[in-house]
Amino acid sequence: MGRYVVRRLLQMIPVFVGATLLIFLMVNVMGDPIAGLCGERACDPATAAQLKKEFGLDKPLWQQYLTYMGNVFTGDFGTAFNGQPVTELMATAFPVTIRLTIVAILFEIVIGITLGVVTGMRRGRPVDTGVLLATLVVISVPTFVTGLLLQLLLGVQWHWIQPSVSQAATFGELIVPGLVLAAVSLAYVTRLTRTSIAENKRSDYVRTAVAKGLPRHRVITRHLLRNSLIPVVTFIGADIGALMGGAIVTERIFNIHGVGYQLYQGILRQNTQTVVGFVTVLVLVFLVANLLVDLLYAVLDPRIRYA
Amino acid sequence: MLLEVRDLHVEFRTRDGIAKAVNGVSYGVDAGETLAVLGESGSGKSVTAQAVMGILDMPPGRITGGEILFRDQDLLTLKEEDRRKVRGAGMAMIFQDALSSLNPVLSVGDQLGEMFVVHRGMSKKDARARAVELMDRVRIPGAAQRVRDYPHQFSGGMRQRIMIAMALALEPALIIADEPTTALDVTVQAQVMDLLAELQREYAMALILITHDLGVVADVADRIAVMYAGRIVESAPVHDIYKAPAHPYTRGLLDSIPRLDHKGRELYAIKGLPPNLMDIPPGCAFHPRCPMARDVCRTDPPPLYEVSEARASACHFWQECLHG
Amino acid sequence: MPEQSYEPDRAIAGTGAGGAMDLAASEAETLERTPGGPQGTGPQAKPRSLWSDAWRDLRRNPVFLVSGLVIVFLVVISLWPSLIASGSPLQCDLAKAQEGSQPGAPFGYDGQGCNVYTRTVYGARTSVTVGVCATLGVALLGSALGGLAGFFGGAWDSFLSRITDVFFAIPVVLGGLVLLSVVTSNTVWPVIGFMVLLGWPQISRIARGSVITAKQNDYVQAARALGASHSRILLRHIAPNAVAPVIVVATIALGTYISLEATLSYLGVGLKPPNVSWGIDISAASPYIRNAPHALLWPSGALAVTVLAFIMLGDAVRDALDPKLR
Repeated sequence: MGRYVVRRLLQMIPVFVGATLLIFLMVNVMGDPIAGLCGERACDPATAAQLKKEFGLDKPLWQQYLTYMGNVFTGDFGTAFNGQPVTELMATAFPVTIRLTIVAILFEIVIGITLGVVTGMRRGRPVDTGVLLATLVVISVPTFVTGLLLQLLLGVQWHWIQPSVSQAATFGELIVPGLVLAAVSLAYVTRLTRTSIAENKRSDYVRTAVAKGLPRHRVITRHLLRNSLIPVVTFIGADIGALMGGAIVTERIFNIHGVGYQLYQGILRQNTQTVVGFVTVLVLVFLVANLLVDLLYAVLDPRIRYA
Repeated sequence: MLLEVRDLHVEFRTRDGIAKAVNGVSYGVDAGETLAVLGESGSGKSVTAQAVMGILDMPPGRITGGEILFRDQDLLTLKEEDRRKVRGAGMAMIFQDALSSLNPVLSVGDQLGEMFVVHRGMSKKDARARAVELMDRVRIPGAAQRVRDYPHQFSGGMRQRIMIAMALALEPALIIADEPTTALDVTVQAQVMDLLAELQREYAMALILITHDLGVVADVADRIAVMYAGRIVESAPVHDIYKAPAHPYTRGLLDSIPRLDHKGRELYAIKGLPPNLMDIPPGCAFHPRCPMARDVCRTDPPPLYEVSEARASACHFWQECLHG
Repeated sequence: MPEQSYEPDRAIAGTGAGGAMDLAASEAETLERTPGGPQGTGPQAKPRSLWSDAWRDLRRNPVFLVSGLVIVFLVVISLWPSLIASGSPLQCDLAKAQEGSQPGAPFGYDGQGCNVYTRTVYGARTSVTVGVCATLGVALLGSALGGLAGFFGGAWDSFLSRITDVFFAIPVVLGGLVLLSVVTSNTVWPVIGFMVLLGWPQISRIARGSVITAKQNDYVQAARALGASHSRILLRHIAPNAVAPVIVVATIALGTYISLEATLSYLGVGLKPPNVSWGIDISAASPYIRNAPHALLWPSGALAVTVLAFIMLGDAVRDALDPKLR
């Protein structure tokens, strides 16, 4: 197990370097890293040269990347467009997005798995067909459309919720946005659970469990679910990173001042430091979530643990 | 009779039609007796066993007729909860592929102990102790340590011993072993088979041994029932059958066993393929492959003729077969 | 073999291992499988190919028929939008802003006084173009890279696996924002290019996996033992088996690319006016959500139906091609 963890950690490093380097290049090569620094107008050439020197932008790219990463690991993410350190933006933005992600994950677990188990046990029945079609519809409607429609219906027409979320962004306010963020993944969780249950239901070891004279609920919980949920749990775990990175659309619709909002501002104002900083953290979250999922996988499935 | 199957019919509804897997099978086992059920894949031998155990996949499977009497009680009319209590405690089953038949994410100790926890209401700790005892019983070395291991950590032979231990756990009156050695290496096959036979004697259990391998049967079985296309075509005490089969299909099976005294001669094989269960030939289902087939075989399904007191054959020309 | 031959699910799943021995049969048609496996349900059953089997299934599947019809309709109106819409999508009259349904404008007018019906019809062209081009690019690039990696293995395979990991670690919408925000060209091509750049690893993984599976089949081993060349094995024995999952994933991906284009345009980094795109229209309509919800609902509906059609098509094709799910 220990060696497995170390191996996975080592595998993470090149992916982290690759992904951050890619983002770094995208921003620095294709954009103009000092574009946003002189306010709304373009910098005059002298100031530009001065700024470039100050930020080390006259050095080769690989050196810039190394310097940046060095700074990042000492906790220095640079300065945002409004003069605030990027880390301060992160400190206000991340808790909001984390709350939003937690709500979304809870929806995936509670609704997604329940629907998946119900349909997987009743394959081919009307419930199954209905839920299956519903998941297709949910997957097909882009998140921003789901978000706008729910905002229109629940917020504008029926006044169940405030159309936009306050600065505090409490869990209560984040229920609908969380559902919007979760929608597509929720549908995937349902389908994945359903397939997994249906497949394992026919497996030899479930037949053995029945032949042992175990009561139905024990066959289902201890043998069928335990095995079927392994891929589902790993999907949900890996989704944490994807949800946080994808929250940008939901946050924009409901005016939530989270990671997506800050990133969007950073991109609009072409603030390199904000963009690269936030993306770096998001990539790291994604990788750590995946690492944890792999470890969880090993805990759940002894065949991997002892491989 | 401990178990008596009477005129059992099972069919499967598939996308392409209805497959008639079992078409009126009757057989019985006495306490302590070993019955070998012999037949090719698709002959219905496993389906019959699954129907007896009550683990048939329904749907697509469906029992369309017959009775399964266990201790004079028709299992098919029992409520599911009562039926469940028979499984494991009254009768148990050993499957062919132990690797896929054991739960990959539970330790073998958990899977063995579960029998005692569920059926006997034992504590987890006591159940674990009984699991170790059982593993000792089926001669798994280092049982006390290995009880925590997972199925994939055992060799094929050891895994099959665990399946046997699981079946033995509650000392059932009947064990059904479905091709218990087919998935194993030849050298391990004999060990596992000997162990099974020995334990059966020790516990005085009845054994239904499902196999396609006539070689395995001779040493172990008391009686043989040969199945073809979902029917019993011949049933007889084991020695009678080896001496002189009363059905051309049995004869074909016997002739296709490689024998040392026939060295150098071409090995016999029954011509043709097993029948399509969606479209079983009329008359005697075996007639398209039968060297003795005549016109009557194509039209009239043969009844089960009584050959002698303990012997029956479903061939119009069983006498010819027996003496020829 | 266990004795479940009459049960279609297990029987067909089992043939992969048991039925692949017959080299002659596999030479004739690599995808052929006899129902019921080697000891089969009998000589009467005709061998059927995966594709003809799938086609037989699809023709009877209402999901496939409906989504197919929707897609044909979409393709036709994106080629010839003037068939069902008169006037130009760019002709707007502020005086008519936010007006509801009326003759000549069944969907009403949006906040800028543009005809929502005309814009919705013309928006199909953008979506279909982006979807089809991005999918073609992704499928070709992904299956070429992934297929070769799976076939040859070794260093190239490990390198490519790491690269795909890198791309997977970048959230798609985020990557789009970062990359497309610096692009000045206002055409579909940067959007398509971005999708190919970030989309190929998905197909590459699928292609790699199915090539590796196909490579391990006995008949491929046999062909190799008989001295068939790399290219012959790859094209004749492996590609036909590996292509089915790629087609399925690509069809579904087509829907998601359409959705992604709309999302990026909604965020303001995909296509910008004067392009006509559902994403632009939805974004433009969202400030007027109280007074003119129709301007939001029609393009949203069109977008949802389009994406749904492609995803349902992919789903139906997958069900038909994947014998395990039967």
